Formats: sequence, structure tokens, C-alpha cells
Amino acid sequence: MNLTTFYLAFAGLVLAPLLGGLVAGVDRVVTARLQSRMGPPLLQPFYDAGKLWSKVIPPASHWQGLFVRWALVASLASDVLLAAGADVLMCFFVQAASACFVAMGAFCGNSPYSKIGAQRELFQLLCYEPVFLVAILAMCKAAGGFDAFAIMAAKGPLLYKLPLLIPGLLFVVLVKLRKSPFDISASHHMHQEVVRGVYTDYAGRDFALLEIAHWADVTVVLWICSFLWATGPLQMVAAGLAFLFAALLIDNISARLTWRYMVKVVAPVSLFLATANLLWLYLE
Amino acid sequence: MGFLNKSQLKSPWLMHFDCGSCNGCDIETLACLTPVYDVERFGIINVGNPRHADVLVVTGTVNPRNAVVLKNLYDQMPAPRLVIAIGACGCSGGVFREAPNVLGGVDKVIPVDVYVPGCPAKPEAIMDAVVTGLAKLKGILEAR
Amino acid sequence: MSEAYIGLLVLWPLAAGLTCLVLTSPGARSALVLSTGIALAVGGLAMAVNAPFAAPSALLGSETALHIAEGAAFVLPAYFLIRGLLAKHWLVIVFALGQLALAAYGAAAMPHAALVQNAAVCDGLSLALVLVVCFAGSFIAIFALPYMRRHEEHLRLRVSKQPGFFMILLAFLGFMNGLALSNDIRVFAAFYEATTLCSFLLIGHDKTEIATKNALRALWMNCLGGMFLHGGILLIQQGHGLVDIHEIVDPAVWAGASMLPMALLALAGCVKAAQMPFQSWLLGAMVAPTPVSALLHSSTMVKVGVFLCLRLGPVLMGSTTGRVLALAGAFTFFAASALALGQSNAKKILAYSTIANLGLIIACAGLGTPVALAAGVVLLVIHAATKALLFLCVGDMEQVVGSRDLEDLRGAVQKAPTTALAAAAGALGMILPPLGMLMGKWAAIEASLNNPALLVLMALGSALAVVCWVRFSGTLLAGRSASPSAAPSSILTSGPILGLLFGAIGLGMAAPWINALLLPGTSALAGGWGLIPSLFVTAMLGWIIGMKVLARQSSVRLATPYIGGLPSREPGTFVGALGKNWTLSEGNEYAEELFGEPRLTRVAGVLAGALLLALVGGAII
Repeated sequence: MNLTTFYLAFAGLVLAPLLGGLVAGVDRVVTARLQSRMGPPLLQPFYDAGKLWSKVIPPASHWQGLFVRWALVASLASDVLLAAGADVLMCFFVQAASACFVAMGAFCGNSPYSKIGAQRELFQLLCYEPVFLVAILAMCKAAGGFDAFAIMAAKGPLLYKLPLLIPGLLFVVLVKLRKSPFDISASHHMHQEVVRGVYTDYAGRDFALLEIAHWADVTVVLWICSFLWATGPLQMVAAGLAFLFAALLIDNISARLTWRYMVKVVAPVSLFLATANLLWLYLE
Repeated sequence: MGFLNKSQLKSPWLMHFDCGSCNGCDIETLACLTPVYDVERFGIINVGNPRHADVLVVTGTVNPRNAVVLKNLYDQMPAPRLVIAIGACGCSGGVFREAPNVLGGVDKVIPVDVYVPGCPAKPEAIMDAVVTGLAKLKGILEAR
Repeated sequence: MSEAYIGLLVLWPLAAGLTCLVLTSPGARSALVLSTGIALAVGGLAMAVNAPFAAPSALLGSETALHIAEGAAFVLPAYFLIRGLLAKHWLVIVFALGQLALAAYGAAAMPHAALVQNAAVCDGLSLALVLVVCFAGSFIAIFALPYMRRHEEHLRLRVSKQPGFFMILLAFLGFMNGLALSNDIRVFAAFYEATTLCSFLLIGHDKTEIATKNALRALWMNCLGGMFLHGGILLIQQGHGLVDIHEIVDPAVWAGASMLPMALLALAGCVKAAQMPFQSWLLGAMVAPTPVSALLHSSTMVKVGVFLCLRLGPVLMGSTTGRVLALAGAFTFFAASALALGQSNAKKILAYSTIANLGLIIACAGLGTPVALAAGVVLLVIHAATKALLFLCVGDMEQVVGSRDLEDLRGAVQKAPTTALAAAAGALGMILPPLGMLMGKWAAIEASLNNPALLVLMALGSALAVVCWVRFSGTLLAGRSASPSAAPSSILTSGPILGLLFGAIGLGMAAPWINALLLPGTSALAGGWGLIPSLFVTAMLGWIIGMKVLARQSSVRLATPYIGGLPSREPGTFVGALGKNWTLSEGNEYAEELFGEPRLTRVAGVLAGALLLALVGGAII
């Protein structure tokens, strides 16, 4: 491992959560403007995390802090892997590990809402993981390598070969960003159908760390989505933002779906489209 | 002011609980979230989980049944926390003060930081109350 | 020199088993089992140091050995036939007769093949199986000592059946080692039949009605597998006149020839590995005592099936038979993982997961490339360790809690802390990087890049497995951490469990080097494998931080649960309507309308059956 990789990894470690926080801020401002409101300042997510950090509150379970720290380490590790140009498949598995830890901590909670959220989180995992994995494999096949650098260096925007990945990737972005209609396990903001679902029992510093892990996750997911148009850094940022705006728009015009509908209809359809695109690559 | 203290003032998360209100004050409170008044400008989010909340907004006269719940929610909130009693009922029991099951205001159960009179209280008054509460919080944080 | 170690690995367990039969004192039995464990460990390590080697062997290749093997080809099916006649089970009778017929045809019509030059061969694959048998097998046999004592106390048996139990258990270890090391396919087939015998006897050990029924089901299915095996062997002898396994799996022999014998051998492996649609025997075998499930039906005997398929790998590479076999394996990986999601019976969850991972290894075998085969072997070893760990933990928790249903095991961390934590660790070890199972899955996915159907099935199976194991470990850990009143467990129980746990983790750390040993010419840390050390360092950092936080949070009082603001007088209750204390109950969502066993088994069984039919049919055409 040479020095450049080390610098890139370090940059990934530090910048990715900050970038994710900015994305969260943009998310809230744009959502507000779509709703004809002004919205909070752009740096609001950082203020939220700072506020949560200062709160001292007894934990809901002995295991909570452990799983939060492990989720944070896993999320940051997935960012570092992408930044250092390593195997994208491994990055996916490390990011999936982070999601597992969040669910585990919720299982260990003491509130029924937390447990419902944990069960729903598992079904969400079940739905988005195959789609995301097939999309990544399609990108690797189209680019001819598993490394992030190989994919980013692929000739021509991959979007031309992989158009049918968009519904699948959009589904993944909606799930990871916890946006309607797939905000099933953590019922965000106003809706609060299961209070805060999988996040109910996390509070105080644990919740602040989980927010930072969430930012890191968001960065990874949008970065992988931006591989579809990876001809240059500005184009990648634009592609990532395009996915973000599409997700925000869908969030604002839809109501939450049930997990059964997600498992029975949405996941199979998006997986089918992604698989069709994958097979198409082999037929050329 | 350190970043952490500034964050506590710029990100007050609200939890709203109705202790037997006629829902008039509740409607006005939720109106604050609409585009016309837009409290999210101040970083305010309506959360349903007391473990995530900084400010408890209570409407309604309190009765013995929901006093237990109110106390429980207050206890589950992490310090430093603010309580805002909304409307005539929340401040003192309003016109229902003499009724048999009415305890007569939020401060009979938990300590209140800001009182918002009105029947119903206006959204501008409610937002003003939150800002007043935050000024009080600023004092608490600076005194630490 | 190697002959001495082969004797140690094959003959000592057999002798120890026979001695166990006559010993009645538990102390002497424990000493014998422990000494066998040490002997096997020594033998296994000696093999590892001397490997790879190919040498003549009196034990596995002499005239006497061959006569015994050929005799076994008659005696064992005859015994199965007698048991089938006694039970009036026509499927057992039919398939035992079939095996006898094939054996008779082989003895009469085939020219007597010469003795094999190098009767004992130990390459990477053989060594992997030998080490699995020696270490996992020993740990499980040691665990079985206190387990069977409590099992018999629970059943209130007057006459202990442990002598016979341990005889078969130890003899089985010897048979497995012989199977892994023998290079003569007739000797291999004899050991294969011997393992069927052990499985049949051990499943039916408790002699209850359901145990006998399931033992007979396992018997007829494995007899069918034996028929496929012998059929394949006869075709190979007829067509190519070969009995040396390493000569048989030389791709040059099969250029232009019919792949039917290979398909039959692969099919025999699929039956032994309980692939769909042959999975019902393994699920039925879960009624046996836990050491049986752990040893035979997850870490060792079923590995014979995948061992056979991996052995055929070089021939299957690039062939249609190989592609269909890979598809069948990947389909089983997907279907069995889905079936595991609808289960609340902990042992059945483990059984379905075993079937799924064996399917994954068979998919690697079907691909046949050196990279895929190496991934398959890594999966074989690490799966054996992890699954044995999980079975032992579930067995111990079942004895402590009194039930094997996951809903009853909720919060088992309070009653059996070491075991529950080890089980949670094992469960998470099945799905998380940087531990070995995930690395094996990752390697298998990367090896299948040319096969889109495999990629999609592996992706689906992987996601299903994640849900299953997170739910499993989350359920175990729900509740507070260890309460001081938890019963202490004996060293013979926690020793093997912790040994297997650290073994599984250690093997995960060593996975890049295991992979490099199996792929001569590659460096260990090339490609994605190079990430493993850094991921382990990150994991260890996370571990240290996490443990500090756990210690801090374990010493504070927990917050009251948020139940919509209602207060809670005691843990697990809330004060609700009428001022009463209402109990909070919770349960996992098994989504039976999607993952229910009957419907899914039917659909998956039909599709898998079609794939295996295509496997054989395609080879005939």
C-alpha cells in the first residue's frame, strides 16, 4: 500500500462524513423549498449532531453503545475502501455490516417500537441488498474490474450500457436515505408511525454517532450511484446530486408503503430490471 | 459559545403532548410546522420520542390519568430540557379549572419554563415561546 | 512415515470406538475420548506439515484393504436391506437391493482392476477435510461427553446407551479420515457407505418413533446416493478402466468422452450434501442429539458430498455438466436460505443454512476454475468450524432453556451467557466481513463473474442469509446482559465452544494464506484478499472501543422503556388499562406467507429436481 493510497484513505475517512452531512443539509433545504418553506440552515445536520452529542441520557440497553460504535467503524471503513479505490464488492459488504449492527442494537433495545423497527429493518435489508449487489456486479462487468478506480476509469458513461439499473439504484437510495415510500423501519419526521422505529432507543451521544455513520453511508451509496456517469469529478458529483434530487422528489409526492408490498412487489421488480440489464451485458 | 452549546440552541427538537386539550391549541401548534410559519427555520423538528426531544410542548388541562404519562415522558427526556405550557388550559386549567378530574395546568405535574396564554394560542405566540425558552436555555448553558 | 500418521488418523478412532463399547465407566470414556482428540489433532497437524504427498499405503491400498472395501460394498447394503425388511420400508428395500445389484454386477462383469499405485494422497482438499475432521470432530466428541450425560438424565434412561453412541461417533471420525485420504475410488466408496451407516445409526439413536422414521428416510436417500456413486464408478471402470481418483479427475481423460459418470458422481455428492430436492433427510436428522447434528449433519459427513464435487472440479471446468451443477448449487443456496427465513426452530434454521452453504460450495465446484475451487475449500473449512460452533451452542442452550424454538431462546444471554454470546458471534461470523464465511462468499461471487445466473442467485442467497443470522443473534441478545444467577457450564461444554469460536475467527484471519496455499503461484495478499489484514485491524480497533463502551454502559442503570409514555412497574410490563400491569410480548416476523416451508419446499424442490435431471440428462445426450 503506497503513500497515495494512504492519503486517499485518510481523506475519505475525514471528508466522507462531512460530505454526507452537507448532503443531509441540502436534502432538508431542498425538501423545504419543494414544500414552499424556507427550511433550516445548510449546516443544520451538524448542529443536530452537536446537540445530540451533548445530551447525557441512560442507554436503553447495555449493548447499544457497542453496536453504534461498530456501525460507525463499518460505515467509515466502507468510505475509506471506496476512497482508496479498493474492491467495490468488499465496500458493499462492509456497508451492509454497518446496517446489520444498527439492526442488532435495535433488537437489544427495550422499547417495542425499537423491536418493530428492527424487524422491518431486516426486511428492508432483504429487499435492497440483492438489488444493490446486482447493480454493482453489472457495473463491474461493464467496466471489466472490481476496483473502484477501474470502474471510474471505464470508457464512456456506464449509463449508456446500464440504463435499467436506475430504478434499482433509486430504490436503494430511497431506502438508505430513509425516504418515503421506503421509510418503513425508521418512520422519519412527521409520520412517526412507529415513533422512530429502529432509532427509537438510540439517544444522546449514541444517536449522534449513528447520524455520522448515516452520513458516511449516504456518501458511499451516492458515490456508487455516481459510477453511472464517472467521466470526471464534476460529472460524478452531478450524477450523485441527480439521484439525491430524484429521491427527494419521490419522497415529497408519495406515502409510505408497507413492508409486505416492498418485499412482494418493489424488490422483485427492481431486481428483475437490474438482472435484465446484467444479462444484456453478457449477450453483447 | 462553544460549538456544542451553540448546537443545543440551534437544534431544539420538539415533542408535543396533548393532556386533554380540545385540540385547538394542538392545531395551532402543528400549524407552526406549515409553510406559513415554518419553524424548521429555527432547526425545530417535531419528534415523537422523548429520548430525542429537548422541548416538551404540552397543551390541555392535565387530569390524573394522563398526569402519569406526562410525568413519564418528562422523566425520559434528557437534560437540559424545556417545558412549554400552551393555552389557557395548559397554564392554569382555563375554563375547566373547577371540573372534578382536572388538575389545573401543566405546572401541577412538571416544572414549566414558558407559559403561552391564549385560547387557542396563536402560532406566532408559540414560536415566540420557543425562542424565549431558548434564551432561558442559553442562560443555563452559559452558567454551567 | 506417513503410514504411521494414516494409522493414527484412521485406526486409532476405530480402536478407541470399539474400546468405548466395552467401557462402562464415564471417567474412562472421557479419558479415551480426550486422548482420541489429542491423537487426531497430532495426526492432523503432522499431515499438514507433510502435505502435499502421494504415497503408497498398506492401510488404504493393499490387497487386504481392497478385499475389505469390496466386501463392504456387499455387507453394508445387505445390512441396510435387512433393516429395511425389518421396518417394512419399501424405499430402503428397493435402493438397498439396487446397491446390491450394482455391487454384484461390478464383482461379476468388471475385470478386476489393478491396485492403485499411490493409495494415500493428501492434497489441499484432502488436508482441509482431514483438519476439519480432526479438530471440529474432536471438539464435538468432547462436547458430547457432558451433553449425553444430561440428555440421558433428561430422558431418565436406566441403562446408558453412551458406550454404543461414542463407539459410532469415534469410528465415524476414522471413516472420514480414511475417506479424505484414500485415492482408490473403491475404498472411497466403502468409506462413503460406512458414513451412511453411522448416520443411520446415530439419527435413530433415541429410538423414538420419529427418530426411527427419520433414520430410515436418511437411509433410503443415502442408499440412492450410493447407487449413483456405484453407478458412476462402474461406468468409469467400464469406459476408462480407471480406479485411481487422481487419474479419474484428469481433464484429458474426459476430452470428447461422455460426462455421464461425472454427472452421476456429482449427483451422489448432491444427495450426500442434502441438496434440494434431497434436503428432507437432513432436516429429519435434526431429531438426533446435538453432537450428531453438529458432527455429521453440518461439519463433516455432509462435507463428503461437497468434497466429492470439489474433487471433480478440474473435469467440470468449462463443461455443460459443470455449468448445470453450478446452477443447481447456486439455486439450492438461494432456496435453502429463503426456507431458513420462515423457520423458528433453531436447529432447522441451522440445517437450512448448512444446506444453503453446501450449495454455494457445489456452485464453486461446478465452476471448476482454480480460483473457484480455492474459494470452495475455504468455505468448506470455515463453514465446518462456524456451523459446528452454532450447533453446539444451540444444543447447550436447548438443554439450559428447555426448548429449541428461537422464540423461547429469546434473551438466552441471561440464562447461558457464554454459550449465547458464542452463538451470536458465530451467527454474525456467518455474514460479516472480515470473517471467513463472508470472504468465501465474496471470492465465490468474484469467481462467478462469467455466469450471470449464478451472480444473481448468490446475491439473493447472501441477502437472505444476512436477515436470518441478524435476526437469530438479535433474538439471543435481547434482554439484559449476564445475570449473576446463570448456571456455570462445565469446561467440557464451554471448552469446545470457545475452541471452535477462536478457531473460526483464526481461520478467517488466515484465509488469504489458506487461499494462497490452494492456488500455487499466487501471493496471499493479491487483489481483494489484501484487504483482509487491514479490515481485521479495523475490526480489532472497533472491538476495543466497543468493549470499553460496553463496560461503561453495563455499569449504569438502564433507561425505562419508551412505551408511548406509559410507565413500567417491572421489566417487560407496562401499566395500562384498568391500572393493571400488562406483559409486553414480542415475536419475530417469519413472514410465512412468503417463506413458509410447505409451499416453498414444493416449488423449490420441483425446480431443483428439474436442474438435477438436466444435469444427468445433459450428460447422457
